[in-house]
Amino acid sequence: MEREEVELLIGRVALSDRAAFTKLYDATSAKLFGVCLRVLNNRAAAEDAMQDSYVKIWKNAGRYQANGLSPMTWLITIARNTAIDRLRATRKGHIDVETPGLELAAAGASPEQFAIATSEAQRLVGCLDGLGEDRGAAVRGAYLDGQSYAELAETFSVPLNTMRTWLRRGLLALKDCMRND
Amino acid sequence: MTDTPIPDDLPDDEMPQGDDLLAAELAMSLLEGEELAQARQRLGLDPQFAALVAGWQTRLVAMAEGIDPVRPPRRLRKRLLKSLFGAARVPLSQRLWVWKGLTLAAVSLAAYLGIQQLGPEGPDTSGTVFATQLSSDIVPLQVLAVLDPARGDISLSRVAGTEAAGRAFELWAIVPDAAPVSLGVLPAGDRMRVVLPADLRGRAADITLAISDEPAGGSPTGAPTGEVLAAGPVTEL
Repeated sequence: MEREEVELLIGRVALSDRAAFTKLYDATSAKLFGVCLRVLNNRAAAEDAMQDSYVKIWKNAGRYQANGLSPMTWLITIARNTAIDRLRATRKGHIDVETPGLELAAAGASPEQFAIATSEAQRLVGCLDGLGEDRGAAVRGAYLDGQSYAELAETFSVPLNTMRTWLRRGLLALKDCMRND
Repeated sequence: MTDTPIPDDLPDDEMPQGDDLLAAELAMSLLEGEELAQARQRLGLDPQFAALVAGWQTRLVAMAEGIDPVRPPRRLRKRLLKSLFGAARVPLSQRLWVWKGLTLAAVSLAAYLGIQQLGPEGPDTSGTVFATQLSSDIVPLQVLAVLDPARGDISLSRVAGTEAAGRAFELWAIVPDAAPVSLGVLPAGDRMRVVLPADLRGRAADITLAISDEPAGGSPTGAPTGEVLAAGPVTEL
């Protein structure tokens, strides 16, 4: 499905169009389920995370236009954040239902500015590799496995502050690389 | 590999600062506690900060590009739609079995209605008639209901079911976005007729009928207090 079609569907979902929501689900659920499975590595948990994601999509579609994200970025980010929240909650032993897990808001960015494209994905992979094996692994570990600074520090056997500084510098380098590449 | 080794320690004052990094950490889910709460709050209030976060989300989401789609099980779709939109409306063709399975009861109810309709007022052929079957999974209770908005009543036929001692079956009419309206306690006997309140007559097609378990005499509060034993949306006959 083309970007414009997904955008149109989200717009109709914002108007509580149930048929549009069903279509959106049919067009995007395989990708979102794949993301939830990748993060949670557990089918039952991934099923719950995906259901929660679509409930958020239904309830927050009205906020989509304002956030400046491409439609697939918006959908995947919701699924990724919801799955990470569930992963963390399971580790803590409870599920925090109060947290929306939807780090999306406010206007300000133009959608064109943030159009997601396959070329961007290739650029990111190239730049992650350019960071070096450890830093690339740390960024992936945080984004895809929900590892915290403390967990990363343990994995790499360094003090917490060191890990934080090191990863932050990595993120800055990543941004530089993606801008200049 | 051009990997730089992680230094043993970095002093805090060398730590990179700035909103853009805060945005990156929020997008990466690396913030915790008070920092997380503050960043989330800012996200809703500060468009510039939100744009930085959106920029990071766009950069980072590319990591998900390589993840293969996995078709979710079909039942998930059903579960989701049901949780969001309530019970799915079953097509009429699939609901007809209810009537096939209850032919005798249905025919006798129809005959009863026919007799009533041939009474002094004469047959009423102007209005649409709706019906539903209320069948409980909890107790052996089965009630057929036929709504006649033109006449403003509901004919009920209790096919099976007896109240527990000191309890009553209370009938409710439910329309979307409104509290259940009590239609009264089912009287003893297998056939009965109750009045359909005037304000519900125009919305007959949207009505779901339900039966709850209540103290003898009916719910003391005006809303269902006991277990809902059976419920069913009406279908045009």
